[in-house]
Amino acid sequence: MGSRAELAPALTDSPRSGFLPDRIIHLHPTRLCNLACVHCYSASGPDQRGALDPAAVNRALEVLRDEGYEAVSLSGGEPLVYRDVGLVVRSAKALGFRVTMITNGLLVNARTAPMLAELDGMAISFDGLAETHDVIRARRGAFDRACAALRRLAGDELPVAAAISVTPSAIPELPDLAYHLAELGAQALQIRPVARAGRAKTMAPSAFGSTADRARLFLVAGALGQELAPDVRVHCDLAPTQGLWRERDAYAALLARCDAGAAPLPLAELVNPLVITEDGRLKPIAYDFDARFDIATVDGLSGERLRRYKDGPLARFRELVGGAVVSLADQQELVDWFDYCTRLSEA
Amino acid sequence: MPVTAGDLSKAMSKRLASYKLTDAVIKRLADRLLVDGLEIMRFDPCIYGICVDYWTRELPKTDLNIKSGITKWEVFPYGILEWDLFHVRVAYEVNELEGKVTPRGF
Repeated sequence: MGSRAELAPALTDSPRSGFLPDRIIHLHPTRLCNLACVHCYSASGPDQRGALDPAAVNRALEVLRDEGYEAVSLSGGEPLVYRDVGLVVRSAKALGFRVTMITNGLLVNARTAPMLAELDGMAISFDGLAETHDVIRARRGAFDRACAALRRLAGDELPVAAAISVTPSAIPELPDLAYHLAELGAQALQIRPVARAGRAKTMAPSAFGSTADRARLFLVAGALGQELAPDVRVHCDLAPTQGLWRERDAYAALLARCDAGAAPLPLAELVNPLVITEDGRLKPIAYDFDARFDIATVDGLSGERLRRYKDGPLARFRELVGGAVVSLADQQELVDWFDYCTRLSEA
Repeated sequence: MPVTAGDLSKAMSKRLASYKLTDAVIKRLADRLLVDGLEIMRFDPCIYGICVDYWTRELPKTDLNIKSGITKWEVFPYGILEWDLFHVRVAYEVNELEGKVTPRGF
């Protein structure tokens, strides 16, 4: 049985921080959205009015850049309805971040094109072929407009990917969807099962899939990765637990026992990804990670504030992740690792 | 027109995505493919059903046998190129995926 002793407690110079290759901030500046998707993990929609103050965001990003984060991924809500999205993009770029965006694509047009050209990458969200996508997005024509956005961005030679959330009933559509998106110019496909979070909790249990559904999704994504290579990269958020267990050294920085008096590590080595919500909370891993694990707030964020977090409340997060990593040792499953940790946070 | 290996490879994703392949077959296939210690490199339809290429840095476990639905397995050690790296190809019997393709060797 796996144990904490097998977690390689010696601190290493691993280039990775957790299972992600980049040290990334997921920034949700608003929950305002021009859609109200039935599976939205942040329960965003046209009736959500709150938004982050761009000046506060910029000050926080300065602190977080010093804490080792390298990339900012903008989502929401719909980032293109956030009034100050251009200001935040430029500020983040000026700080040296690589900036990307996930969008429903409905507002990719001539007006937003100049700002979009400043981004280092974009992903358009899809849920299936036209009928499936439009039902989940609750908007007729949403699929065609998302495809048009992808085509436009690819035509402008901007790096564009597709982020695909899949219910079990949509799996049979996945190959045709993938080939269609490849033809439109998608350079990468990120495929994940719909997570039981936010508004998705109101969906029927059949929307989340069985063990066999996850296996099917994993195998289909693997086959698509082979078929579409080398022009299109395919990534599936599901991973074999044994494969993750073999890579457990990726969490050495968080889980190592450090000598007393040693300099604290940058936050990016300990919490990755970092989430900033529309009401200014900093959270680990995911938008709906339990509030007991909140790190700080955007207002008044400082290196000193984060040092106090590392010296105290970080231990609770370390305990959760350590337990999650150890639990991999005896499992032969496919997991969405970040969703797995988020569900554990709710326990 | 003869069906080529390329045609079958392209159709792999559609076959796997179709619920004509039952959950039981998919689960059995995934349970076989996700073998402890073996990292999947690629998988393709073959004359037996599905052939999977793995990487491993450990000698393959000897309990890969017919009870696991395995028809054949081959091990290619990289030797002086990389002493501890093995390329393992396993042919799984999956009747629903059998194709008329000439088996390929290393």
